[in-house]
Amino acid sequence: MSPSRFATGGRRLTLAGALVLAAAQLVRPAHTNPPSGGDLVAPAEASKALRRACYDCHSNETRWPWYASVAPLSWLIQHDVDEGRRRLNFSSWQDYASDPETAAHKLEQIAKTVERGDMAPWYYRLLHPSARLGEEDRARLARWAADEARRLAAPQN
Amino acid sequence: MVSKKILVLGCLAAAISATAAQAEEIVELRAAGGTFEPLRLAVPAGAPFKIKVTNGEKVPVEFESFELHRERVVQPGDTITVNMPALSAGSYKFFDDFNDKTPQGEIVAK
Repeated sequence: MSPSRFATGGRRLTLAGALVLAAAQLVRPAHTNPPSGGDLVAPAEASKALRRACYDCHSNETRWPWYASVAPLSWLIQHDVDEGRRRLNFSSWQDYASDPETAAHKLEQIAKTVERGDMAPWYYRLLHPSARLGEEDRARLARWAADEARRLAAPQN
Repeated sequence: MVSKKILVLGCLAAAISATAAQAEEIVELRAAGGTFEPLRLAVPAGAPFKIKVTNGEKVPVEFESFELHRERVVQPGDTITVNMPALSAGSYKFFDDFNDKTPQGEIVAK
């Protein structure tokens, strides 16, 4: 292939990419924050850490960043929030709490996940440094969640 | 004197019938043979109820419903009771989060 034909091909590819990206902007997910059904009540420090590191995906109080309106990032973020809210939604905590053992189970999972440092996902922490939990925060959150889980768990079914 | 007795008996009867009306319905669900039995649970809409979940499998199962905000682990051979809220008429899915192959079930409130 001659250099000029190569350059023309490159330009066409760039143009096609730009067109696809522009067309992708037409598919906009609806970013919503539904009303809370009864939030989790936690000690101030634990609550602060949860809000900072977890609430964007695990509550109805998502802070949608500007790039949440730019495809394809908007699709990825919407998927993460939908999945996060489905698995654990702090804004629906009173619903979990109407079955105390479900609430206890959720708290046990929070304690384990936080202790292992599994959340937030690495790619999320990359874009949101504030979502990183320091060792002290992790220990405090895990301890509180484990204690609360033990308190809620009924001795027998 | 007689009217007082009638009044007391009437109050007692009212209290007993109110208690009976408040008693929550209990529906039973069993995980066995890689499925839930039954896969469709019918419950009355607008009244809280309980689900007794028995695990007849040899491995733990996790009874979970995203829509109903329920998630409980049931060890092999165990039976647990899950408190359920009053539901609006409709269909609500549940599944075993530990075993992907177990078919989804549904709770139908009418």
